[in-house]
Amino acid sequence: MANVSNVTRLRETPAHTAVEVSNLNHVYEGREGKVAALEDISLTIEAGRFVVIVGPSGCGKTSLLMMLAGLRRQTSGTILCAGRPIVDPDPERVGVVFQEASLFPWLSALDNVEFPMALRKAPKDERRRRADEMLNLVGLQGFGGRYPHELSGGMKQRVSIARGLVQDPPVLLMDEPFAALDEQTRMTMGHELLRIWSQTNKTVVFITHSLTEAVYLADEVLVMSARPGRIIDRIPITLPRPRNYEMMASDVFGRLRDRIWQQIRTTP
Amino acid sequence: MKRPSPRAVRWMLIAAILVVWEALPRLGLVAELLLPPLSKTLVALVNAWPEYMSALFVTLYEVILAMLIACGAGILVGALVGGITLLRNVFLPVFSSLYAVPIVILYPVFTAWFGIGSESKVAFAGAYGFFPVMLSTAAGIRTIDEQLLLAARSMGATVPQQITRVIIPASIPTVLTGLRLGGALTIIGVVVAEMLTSAAGIGYLVTSYRTILDSPHVFAGVLMILILSVLFDTAARAIERRTLVWQTAGRRERASSKEDKATLAMPAPA
Repeated sequence: MANVSNVTRLRETPAHTAVEVSNLNHVYEGREGKVAALEDISLTIEAGRFVVIVGPSGCGKTSLLMMLAGLRRQTSGTILCAGRPIVDPDPERVGVVFQEASLFPWLSALDNVEFPMALRKAPKDERRRRADEMLNLVGLQGFGGRYPHELSGGMKQRVSIARGLVQDPPVLLMDEPFAALDEQTRMTMGHELLRIWSQTNKTVVFITHSLTEAVYLADEVLVMSARPGRIIDRIPITLPRPRNYEMMASDVFGRLRDRIWQQIRTTP
Repeated sequence: MKRPSPRAVRWMLIAAILVVWEALPRLGLVAELLLPPLSKTLVALVNAWPEYMSALFVTLYEVILAMLIACGAGILVGALVGGITLLRNVFLPVFSSLYAVPIVILYPVFTAWFGIGSESKVAFAGAYGFFPVMLSTAAGIRTIDEQLLLAARSMGATVPQQITRVIIPASIPTVLTGLRLGGALTIIGVVVAEMLTSAAGIGYLVTSYRTILDSPHVFAGVLMILILSVLFDTAARAIERRTLVWQTAGRRERASSKEDKATLAMPAPA
């Protein structure tokens, strides 16, 4: 419960913007001419917020995340992170956690976490210290020497989170990180992610298909429409923090989940 | 009763084959001209030891050079063909078809170009071993998980870093398999070439002793090539095992999902 004061303090400090997207459009060349994938997306995410994006399959959620990560270039519009435009991947500003199988199988867990720092030729002992810290943070102390195939699905995603955070970026992007996990592990990992988030004060942008996961994790849920993807609703999640599993059975939780479902269902 | 280990069974099989090799001609079941007893073969080998050693030296020299050519060119061309879409579309079907051609038919051409000395053997065996190395290198590079490259890019890897830190380590397993196959083919290539047209090497010895019907000396040569091939394969497998610890190490204590379930019991964090 010690973390509660932390979160309260965060809410009271004057909010500053972590991510700002303005008038973002994306058009790609499909088989039958130009296809509008994303249309006029503008959004502001305050620092320290946990934002979840949901929407029907193919609505461009992942494209949007790729653009936030600097992995794909938008047709028009700007993305600012920490006040500067995102043009290329920059792991010191934005960390990314992918759905699955993005750990390098030939590297141990520790070496995987060190990888982004090794790319930047950081000194060996500093890398080791940081990576150890991150593995502790995600609850994997003592597992640094394991190779990915020696880890369970949940543990692999813990390593991915540690890797995303190793360079201490203010923003962490997560593209359906728990989609490949079984239900129990998924619930546990969501819970663990909230713990890690509260300990690190990161801004998280999280994509999911699971409405329960969305409501359970988020400060705010953004609902996207089918192609061309637009943001059709922003739903603040008023559930108190810390969240617990009992809340899932509450009326408020059910109403919020239902509201999101109605939005997605009625989207053309 | 405890079942014998596969390893023990393997050694017993080898021992049985050696015993049968000795017994069949001794008992008169097979003519000594067709299969001389093991002991006579070994005696022949020991008596003509200097001759066999110098022949082995020639063969080894040719095999090593041919392997260097096959592996070097195979990896280089394979990397280019596997990595560059245009080259892949143009050349990969051609190389795949060429692999099916019995290149030994071209050996007379090789002797015409390079003479009957070591050069023609090296060139022929090098070409013979080139294809599996090249094809598996291309396959190894082509089948890399895109997700790994995407992850590396998200961490700010430059193109050279993507090559050295992702593409190369990710393709090592398939390349090593290709090297083992290609290596075995170069040994075959050298011996076959020596048997067809040459004046030195184990293959030459086998052929020349065969023409004078000296079976023990023929089989002594066969034995040497057998040992050479097995040694090569054992060494290649050992290298593969050492390099690919990350693929095989996991059997010892496989991680269970216990770790994840355990945290369910933890008090609720913020």
